[in-house]
Amino acid sequence: MSVTASLGYFSRTALNGIVRSPFVHVIAVASLAIALVGFGLARMASAQLDRLLVALAGEVEMTVYLADGTTPEKIADLQAALSQRTGGQTRVVSPSEALGRLASELGEQGQALESLEENPLPWSVEVSLPPLAREPEQLEALAERVRSLPFVTQVDYGQEALERLTAIARALKLGSLIAFVLVFLTAVVVVSATLQLAIYSRREDIEIQKLVGATDRFVRAPFLIEGLLQGVVAAALACAALWAFAFFVGPKLAALFSFLDVGKGRSGIDPRLVLELFSLGAGMGLLGSIVAVRRFLRV
Amino acid sequence: MFHVTKAYPGDPPVLVDINLDVQKGEFVFLTGPSGAGKSTLLKLMFVAERPTRGQVLISGRNVARLREGGIPYLRRNIGVVFQDFKLLPTRTVAENVGFTLDVLGTPREVVRARSLKALKSVGLEHKADVLPPKLSGGEQQRVVIARALVNDPAILLADEPTGNLDPRLTVEIMDLLCDVNARGTTVVVATHDASLIERYQKRTLRLERGTLVAEALGHKAAALMA
Repeated sequence: MSVTASLGYFSRTALNGIVRSPFVHVIAVASLAIALVGFGLARMASAQLDRLLVALAGEVEMTVYLADGTTPEKIADLQAALSQRTGGQTRVVSPSEALGRLASELGEQGQALESLEENPLPWSVEVSLPPLAREPEQLEALAERVRSLPFVTQVDYGQEALERLTAIARALKLGSLIAFVLVFLTAVVVVSATLQLAIYSRREDIEIQKLVGATDRFVRAPFLIEGLLQGVVAAALACAALWAFAFFVGPKLAALFSFLDVGKGRSGIDPRLVLELFSLGAGMGLLGSIVAVRRFLRV
Repeated sequence: MFHVTKAYPGDPPVLVDINLDVQKGEFVFLTGPSGAGKSTLLKLMFVAERPTRGQVLISGRNVARLREGGIPYLRRNIGVVFQDFKLLPTRTVAENVGFTLDVLGTPREVVRARSLKALKSVGLEHKADVLPPKLSGGEQQRVVIARALVNDPAILLADEPTGNLDPRLTVEIMDLLCDVNARGTTVVVATHDASLIERYQKRTLRLERGTLVAEALGHKAAALMA
């Protein structure tokens, strides 16, 4: 038994099957492609959102306000502890530096601050938070601990904004996961239905193949190849559609959200996404054909 | 075959306690009225059906108990000429004949060459690229025989192989089957055509209502048809 001869035969049979009933296969490929485009859009949106989170969180800092009269040793200890826990840079801000910043932020109105007899601002420690230390729960726990120190009066870290963004990101990810699973299952059902038709229309071939000594594997292989081909063709179409989307619609979207400073300097689609689409398409096609062959090919 | 019985639920048995021994290289006629169980007996031999009771030994293996996965390998050694032809109308004559070789993973060129050779042996090489529905009944019959022989099987089973042929073609086909037999292939032919049995004088078994009622050799065989 020659493997190449069999592979050639399987591919010819599979192509023959597609040529013999093109309409059914077009429908299957179209549904697969739509599913894959949906998946690709969700992935692109989620990648943008991740970038947005990183961009916003790049400014995430934790500020620890200290009570009057905190000794430099204690401040140094706190700095060491904070940088060890978060892995971020720490910096001590003196009351006069804080006042200067406030004055420059207020602009002309800041001149009013000059009339103060005494600087009301406390000493503080600023921690810039690296991406790994930005989990809201984690940060809250840390803030809680720091707050309990006797010489700490207050801890700030843009809590609300961070929590909301993280919640939105999570909801989007969960939603797209659920949508993806539904679409995936639908696509598998569509593929298996088209292959069920293919099996039905070739039942005479199958009967005779069996009578002249074909193994079950031999009878099934062309159908698996058909499913695989459907998936791969659908993935190619989906890539083209997503590329067109990124090329034509992407710049407009970027202009719309320009204040967020995301999605710039990128065009086309991520090669990793292309790889994902092709493996996903092939997987859906193959799975659909396996389902069809298992359920309908009683050989 | 030892004590082979085949019955379908709810119906009287098709075959009852058949004992039959066909030697390697033998030529056997299986005769009897239609509905006597001739086709079913052949089907048991290539495991299209399984016996309800009893054993069917082919080359020493009990095929009644052959697992599903083993059936294809058994069938590759058995050529079958079906009563209803089982030709694919959308494939050419040569492709139909080559089907037997395709399932073995034979390279395309070899399939084509051997299909043409088999078609030549039944006198149809000039129809290789025609679709079966364009052929006469007798020509289709010969394509089926070519398909059964293309793989040089050890056993050839033929169910009414001359049922659709005029007398001249009948003789041609029978001579062809005799040639195949002379080259060492075991041949079993189911027929209700008395003239064949008379003319060829081979070992003949007569089935009636699922039972082997008589057996005769050579010139005595014709008497079984009475």
